[in-house]
Amino acid sequence: MLELGLIFRALLRNKVGALLIGLQIALTLTIMTNAIFMMQERNAQMDRPSGLDEANLFFVNNTIFATDYNQQVALEEDLTLLRNTEGVVDAIQINAIPMSGGGWSMGLQTESGVGKDSVGVAVYMVDDHAINTLGLELIAGENFSINDIQWRESSQTTWPAKTIITQAMAESLFADDWHSAVGKTAYISQEQPMQIIGIVKTLQAPWNGWDGVERSMLVPFKMETMGSRYMIKTEPGRRDELMPIIEKALADSNKGRIIRRVTTMDDIRERSYRGHNAVNKILSTVIVVLTLITGFGIVGLAMFSINRRTKQIGTRRALGASKGQIMSYFMIENIMISSFGIVLGIAGAIGLNIWLVNTLSMSPINIEIIVFGVIVLYFVGQLAVLYPARKAANIPPATATRTA
Amino acid sequence: MLTMKNVSKVFKTDNIQTHALRDFSLTVNEGDFVSVTGPSGSGKTTFLNIAGLLETFSSGDFLLDDISIQQLNDRQRSKIRNEKIGFIFQSFNLIPDLNLFDNVDVPLRYRGFNAKERKQRIEHNLDMVGLASRMKHLPSQLSGGQQQRVAIARALATDPRFLLADEPTGNLDTQMAQSVMSLLEDINKQGTTIVMVTHDNDLANRASRKIQIKDGRVSELDVVVANSQAIA
Repeated sequence: MLELGLIFRALLRNKVGALLIGLQIALTLTIMTNAIFMMQERNAQMDRPSGLDEANLFFVNNTIFATDYNQQVALEEDLTLLRNTEGVVDAIQINAIPMSGGGWSMGLQTESGVGKDSVGVAVYMVDDHAINTLGLELIAGENFSINDIQWRESSQTTWPAKTIITQAMAESLFADDWHSAVGKTAYISQEQPMQIIGIVKTLQAPWNGWDGVERSMLVPFKMETMGSRYMIKTEPGRRDELMPIIEKALADSNKGRIIRRVTTMDDIRERSYRGHNAVNKILSTVIVVLTLITGFGIVGLAMFSINRRTKQIGTRRALGASKGQIMSYFMIENIMISSFGIVLGIAGAIGLNIWLVNTLSMSPINIEIIVFGVIVLYFVGQLAVLYPARKAANIPPATATRTA
Repeated sequence: MLTMKNVSKVFKTDNIQTHALRDFSLTVNEGDFVSVTGPSGSGKTTFLNIAGLLETFSSGDFLLDDISIQQLNDRQRSKIRNEKIGFIFQSFNLIPDLNLFDNVDVPLRYRGFNAKERKQRIEHNLDMVGLASRMKHLPSQLSGGQQQRVAIARALATDPRFLLADEPTGNLDTQMAQSVMSLLEDINKQGTTIVMVTHDNDLANRASRKIQIKDGRVSELDVVVANSQAIA
């Protein structure tokens, strides 16, 4: 028969050690659950699709130093070279790289005029090959035609008449019915009209920490600039093979510029989320260390308790307790201590999460994480007490008569 | 009831073998009150531990209620200790964190009695030793004699057929020792078989049988009651 009442009453008379371990369990649960939650949020951010065919994309930076460089001619020559290279699916000039951390942003609004509400949007200046090159999914409307593409000088402040936006941008501009965005006019720079001719499903902005990361627009520009980038899409599996070939071909084709930073989108993603990964590793380490410390604390308390109660355990054995019943005693005692800590820990976890929600604008913690933490700590507690409990069970009943 | 025949117990360390009991033979019949005396290190406690199934023995035969003890595993030995044997220890061995009620409750829980049955037995036995009014007290709040009475109540709570007492008055003053001894005599008169290890010859002489152990063997056998016999 279980000794629940006896164990509980005995615990109440020796509460300091149990209290400290209970508080340690509570602290561990509080930190563990919130750390897991923070890791999950980071993982969710890292798992967001960029909208790009990342595995087959790379880009190069084209930095011009020649003074007699004809940018328009050179750009057309470069794009022709790239698009005609065997193994290349398509290529574009682009002003910014998704997830890279640097890019352009503007505000779009549905009504013209100063002071009207606008929605921030990442701007990608591209030509009619962008959807194919980037691997975007056009879910409404149409692509740019070649006639839509304009040349943009570096100091130019006017914008083309057409744009393609992401679904998230459409939802922000036309919350009631984003599907109806195609054909409507949005205003950039407060009063320059742009007709929305298409909607792509996803295209992330360059800034992964921005809460509007899904809001992007494609603008039909070719840029006259001394520094630009080419995004190149290769046939599946040929990216790495083509990177040095294309770098050399571009460098050889025109000596008035430098081709550098030949970089894959996989690299950009890795660099973009390097901080997230580092924080996740730190949080994982904190969780493991805290859990281990708690486990060792439980072992220590149980060993101390057993050493202090050696004769008592021998007496219990003499009175008829089996080894299993002695083991059960310590396992149940641990469940009681863990339960105390876990109840406090649940309150602590929710309290800390409320604070994080209020101060860092995080979302509320999932109940599943708390349940997971509770299960882990009960398991760790039982695992930690297993060895001491076995040791206690092996105390011979003759200890009752042989010790002072 | 209890028959030991040529029981030996050898404690082994790396280089030394100590014979705590050598060809020890003894029969204790139902209703006996046997006192066991002997000098320190003679094997009294080893005998008591083997008789109480607290220790195993190296060789020989030991029957308790016609059950051969040698064949039993730890679980079976625990069950027999709980059901057939009551222990009274020199230093009482009460659990300091539990009150008197809970202390007496410990062996009853191992027996698996329900709450009502346990309560009834606890109250009955604490009443029998005159401590029913103090059942919520902790052992530390009692005198030595009272603590030993609680230990007796605990030993009797499971209705054992066999009571083993290891120096039950060793930590008590003369007056308390007499009181505890009287209690044991009353218990014996009610039919419980008692084996008591003691250094005190006066108390030993109050038993119905007295045996002396020396160097692990029964050295003297004093048959007081007609139906008791021993194989030396």
